[in-house]
Amino acid sequence: MSPDLGGARTAAIADALPTPLPGRDTAVQYGMALLTVVLVAAPLIPVLYQSLLDRALYDAGQQFTLGNFGRLFRTDGFGVVVWNTIVFATLTTVISQTLGTLAAVLFGRTDMPAARLFGELFLWPIYLSALVLSFGWYSIYGPAGYLTLLMQDIFDGAPWNLYTLPGMAMIAGVSQAPVAYIYCMSSATITDPSLEEAARVAGAGTLRTLWRITLPLLLPAITYSAVLNFTVGLELLAIPLVFGDPAGITVLTTFLYNNGVASARPDHGLVATAAVLMLLVVCVLVWMQGRLLGNTRRFVTLGGKATRPRPFRLNRLRWPLCLLSAIYILATVVAPIGVLVLRSFTSLLSPMAPLAEVLTLGNFTSMLEYPVYLRSIWNSFVVSAVGGVLATAMIALIAIIVLRSDFRWRGPLHYVALFPRAVPGVVAGIGFFYAFALVPGLGSLRNTIWILIIAFTMHYIPVGLGAVAPMLMQMSPDLDRAARVQGADWWTASRRIVLPLMRPALVACFVILFITFFKEYTTAIFLFAPGSEVIGTTLLQAWTQGEVGLVSALATIQVLVIGTCVTAARAIFGVKLYG
Amino acid sequence: MAELLIENLHKQFGPVHAVEDVNIRVADGEFVTLLGPSGCGKSTTLGAIAGLDQPTSGRIRVGNKTYFDGDKGIFLPPEARNCGLVFQSYALWPHMTVYDNVVFPLTLRKVSAADRKRRVEECLALVEMERFQDRYPHELSGGQQQRVALARTLVYQPEILLLDEPLSNLDAKLRDRARTWLAELRTRLGLTTIYVTHDQVEALALSDRIVVMNGGRITQIGTPQDIYEQPADSFVADFIGTTNFLAGKVVEASSANGQTLVSLADGQRVTIQSERRPAAGDKVTFAYRPEQMRLATDNETGTDGSIVNATVVSHSYIGGRWQIGLDVGGNPIRIETQQATASRQLRLWLPLAGGILFSEQRHVQSH
Repeated sequence: MSPDLGGARTAAIADALPTPLPGRDTAVQYGMALLTVVLVAAPLIPVLYQSLLDRALYDAGQQFTLGNFGRLFRTDGFGVVVWNTIVFATLTTVISQTLGTLAAVLFGRTDMPAARLFGELFLWPIYLSALVLSFGWYSIYGPAGYLTLLMQDIFDGAPWNLYTLPGMAMIAGVSQAPVAYIYCMSSATITDPSLEEAARVAGAGTLRTLWRITLPLLLPAITYSAVLNFTVGLELLAIPLVFGDPAGITVLTTFLYNNGVASARPDHGLVATAAVLMLLVVCVLVWMQGRLLGNTRRFVTLGGKATRPRPFRLNRLRWPLCLLSAIYILATVVAPIGVLVLRSFTSLLSPMAPLAEVLTLGNFTSMLEYPVYLRSIWNSFVVSAVGGVLATAMIALIAIIVLRSDFRWRGPLHYVALFPRAVPGVVAGIGFFYAFALVPGLGSLRNTIWILIIAFTMHYIPVGLGAVAPMLMQMSPDLDRAARVQGADWWTASRRIVLPLMRPALVACFVILFITFFKEYTTAIFLFAPGSEVIGTTLLQAWTQGEVGLVSALATIQVLVIGTCVTAARAIFGVKLYG
Repeated sequence: MAELLIENLHKQFGPVHAVEDVNIRVADGEFVTLLGPSGCGKSTTLGAIAGLDQPTSGRIRVGNKTYFDGDKGIFLPPEARNCGLVFQSYALWPHMTVYDNVVFPLTLRKVSAADRKRRVEECLALVEMERFQDRYPHELSGGQQQRVALARTLVYQPEILLLDEPLSNLDAKLRDRARTWLAELRTRLGLTTIYVTHDQVEALALSDRIVVMNGGRITQIGTPQDIYEQPADSFVADFIGTTNFLAGKVVEASSANGQTLVSLADGQRVTIQSERRPAAGDKVTFAYRPEQMRLATDNETGTDGSIVNATVVSHSYIGGRWQIGLDVGGNPIRIETQQATASRQLRLWLPLAGGILFSEQRHVQSH
């Protein structure tokens, strides 16, 4: 072995410089950018186009018009729809922010017993779809709900009614409170104990410190998540559909659903115009989110805290508050899910009927009799697994182009890729519905699950980027630069160095997308066809047919699958599944 | 191996001139160091050579290959340049073993499998890391990682070797060893090398020539000895080695033998021999290295130098010697002596020749 490089040097004179395919980097980058733009624009352009047409976009003899907007505002009851939407979203926000902030302080910052456990349970609704949570609440607080009947026995009637705006907002608030909780918990200020200690040293008591120091410091997190939750409140379909529609309370999403999908003769001009209106409002809200958050904290994840701040002492209030929290968690999360699962194993559930007499597996066996149930479960798995893989691959490429290349349009591409945040699920659903009706040759995809995979992918690109970007931003750029200097073109450096190093983030991204796709229903109900049902759409259909037992059984399966995924992912990969 | 030519290099970030009018010619096999404080433009210049940063204008050529030409719109991407760059962070790929790290550039160059193995082994032997082929980077110490990073760069015979502060992540002891080792290696390899550092000791010990940079511009180019003994201005003098500055005013312009009489702020007078010839009344700064000054004996009158009175400000034991902080006419001065001193006032001997005179008023910082 020669200690000198001389021998190697003579042997190496023939070293050819690496010859990457010319233009390959450019082709990959432009190709991916084009695909992203097409995907994001696909639902938006048809909706905008339709809103300006005097008849359905697939009819002959169309004329451009602005008449739809006037017609929409003159439509009977549209004012009430807008009013309901605003009231519902506002109430939802107030409830979720109050609950989330209280929980963050109580579970995150005090010496209350079992605070950690409550914190975990508090997050549950975020893993479930609002649809399943609605059914859960229905089976316990609905008109024939377990607790409602119990109360009717004792009093003259239950003091609650879910078929009102406040009732609906309560469910939505509970389902969105984890968002406020997560933002408050990840707020840097809650993790810095010195600020609070300074106030204590200065002589402030627990309550005063909470009120004057902790809460004001949390204000940015509360404000940001409030805008987020208000947006979600506007976009939410499940709760207004389950509880609002029967009571004649219509919000924008159910207006779009009823006139676009459920109607026998849909007025496309009106639907598209309402969708455009909704899109504009949400765009403004998302822009506000961006302004509130600033660029640095665009991707928030709840990190493990190295040092836990010294908890507030509750003293005499420890146990009373613990009891109160237990009641809250039981009433809003554990009982609805528990009763829903229990309902799936019974023929009917009522305080009047002894449990032993009604226990049955009948709901699950009758699911086997109708192919649509098994098919939708199978489709949900395929959409989530295949769609999750494809979407993760696409998101990984977008991320490395945006954050790790000198692609000329990487800034605009980043913007486009994050834009679906501003596209409500219902609007994406309507948009893709139009897109597939409009573009010839795509008809063959229309009745397959591919249309769902495409729509879900588009809708959740920002979620995936949020899972991938932080890791990519932490990875030293020297690693890929080293490969470039040694002769690798951008694509080789990405393939051999950057992507392999991103593996943990990609796994997290896939798990998050799998769960999200598995529980998704909003976009799907505009797009599914016989043969391409998924669990969410079948749940809604069975619900409309009054098949409460089957709904409970199907919802139980969804809860079990998601629960298994969440637990496994957290145990095996230590993946954080929200943020 | 080739000659490197940088002409009129400019790099602008918005309104900030990171690099301005940089001209360097590095001969084949020469070892040149870019030296300066952080933000002086040395790393930007290195990035421009490697192709990681696109300069605003100018030309860079290695051998007969043009890397960059602002006028002709030529900008070779890094992968087309065949440079070798060792990063400050080493940038070893954590998911690959030492062997896989080093073989990567050879795989890119489609070297045959047998040659690949032999060359990786030779190269690892050269940096004394052949026993660690199957380790992952995180299983190596900082010094070992640095050697692997170097091997990964040398294995493909780059046209030119670029080293970006390769020693700065090592602790002080290891840094000394690595520097000696690097000095041996460079003599053996004879590669054209550009070395970037802010550490003057590394620069002096390793380089054929040093390019001192400040504020995006080149302040001085010269051999280590030139730079140390004949700094072009007070910035260079201050940056290279420890330097004591005295501010004063010329009382008597240079006589025929080049001696200038300068008066300090408190009226004390110093004679200094210099090639620079300021006129009477000019404000000047002159500088001495600590080893050029000593305490005067009691009855010394100042032959071959001047004697000034100094006030003792501080003195501290630094292991084998004492460091004494003095005030001479408002200028802070530091010298080292063998004995402690108890007195508040000392007499300081300043040499007639060897000090450096700058025809500028320097803002004297207190150390």
